[in-house]
Amino acid sequence: MSIDLTFIGQIVVFLTLVFLMRKYLYGPLNDLLEGRAKKIAEGLAAADAGKEAKAVAEAEIKELLKASRARAQEIVSAAEKRAAEVSEEAVNKAREDGQNIVDAAREEVTAEIERARQGLRKEVADLAVLAAERVLGAELDAKRHAKLIDGVISQGIGRA
Amino acid sequence: MSEQEHGSTIADHLQYWTYVIDEKNPFMQIHLDTMLISILVAASLVGFSLWLGKRLTADAPSGAQNFMESVVDFINQTVRDNFPVHNPLIAPLAMTIFIFIFLVNTLDILPSYLIGNIAHLFGVTHFRPVPTNDLNLPAAMAISIFVLVLYYEFKLKPVHFIKELLFEPFANLVPKPFGYLIVPLNLVLKLVEEIAKPLSLSFRLFGNMFAGEVIFLLISFLLLGGGVVGMFFGFFVGLGWTIFHLFIGLLQAFIFMILTVVYLSIAHQPVEH
Repeated sequence: MSIDLTFIGQIVVFLTLVFLMRKYLYGPLNDLLEGRAKKIAEGLAAADAGKEAKAVAEAEIKELLKASRARAQEIVSAAEKRAAEVSEEAVNKAREDGQNIVDAAREEVTAEIERARQGLRKEVADLAVLAAERVLGAELDAKRHAKLIDGVISQGIGRA
Repeated sequence: MSEQEHGSTIADHLQYWTYVIDEKNPFMQIHLDTMLISILVAASLVGFSLWLGKRLTADAPSGAQNFMESVVDFINQTVRDNFPVHNPLIAPLAMTIFIFIFLVNTLDILPSYLIGNIAHLFGVTHFRPVPTNDLNLPAAMAISIFVLVLYYEFKLKPVHFIKELLFEPFANLVPKPFGYLIVPLNLVLKLVEEIAKPLSLSFRLFGNMFAGEVIFLLISFLLLGGGVVGMFFGFFVGLGWTIFHLFIGLLQAFIFMILTVVYLSIAHQPVEH
């Protein structure tokens, strides 16, 4: 139960053991644990970052979706507007065309009437001359009296 | 029976296997049993470390590695809870103390009576299988730690430590200018306080383990030697004491470790003000 040389021996044993344990048992295990803790922390951080990125991406998607929906709405309404314009134009043009056709027809009819009137006038003049020849028994010089006859006819037609 | 030749009294079983170098000087002798067993335990611990070191994996630990990892984790947690600063030496030191003392204490489950007799067959008169039963081992560890504490005290805050030695605990007993008058008193008290640390540390462990050993011997002498009834009761009492003593061994290892950490952390405590 006394302190003796064993004491010195035990100090040597103890210090050697501390040194060896630090080198071969604690050191490697602690490095391992620290490495693992670091790895786990990194993994968790990466997971967090991923979650955040996902949230950002989702917000972006929502934003894009909203924008594209608005754009589509715009396009549709523009197309509708354009279609309405086009149909309006077509209707207008058709109406105009119809008017033109009607106008042209009316003009032609007027010209035809005029031509017919001219023809009639000439025939009436001829008939008048013929009738006057018959009546006078003599042939009137159609060329010499054309002025007189025309005056009579136009008077007659004008009266008619 | 070997009882006649070896260990017929309890005191006989409390003798060490001693190699005397100088008859006149009681210091010049060495306890071969303590040295042998502690070196054996230390060597097997190092061997285990080397064996484990080769099959460490970073990913999915199992078995021994898992267990040792939890031990390291536990030690790290203890040190971190107590230490104000990081010192890479403390945790391995604490772990060595804990594991080594626990293993050595656990040797107490070996029946010392039987081992004494076996040793006697090889011509050894006395053999104590548990090195912590020898004051030399706890004292060696406690003194090593004490020296380490002093080293850190002087390294980290030399002025403050010397001031503490000279002017505390009675800082305000006399007016400030006469403080030096009570320096001797302070110094004596402070030295007692400091020296009490390694002393209590070593005697606590030694006393616990030694008492346990004595009780084992008492059980074996009083009960196992007392006929059939004595054997019957002796078996159960011995079993109970073995289980309890195992627990004490673990507890003492833990106490030794935690006190080491605490003493060292006091030395690391930053100076206030």
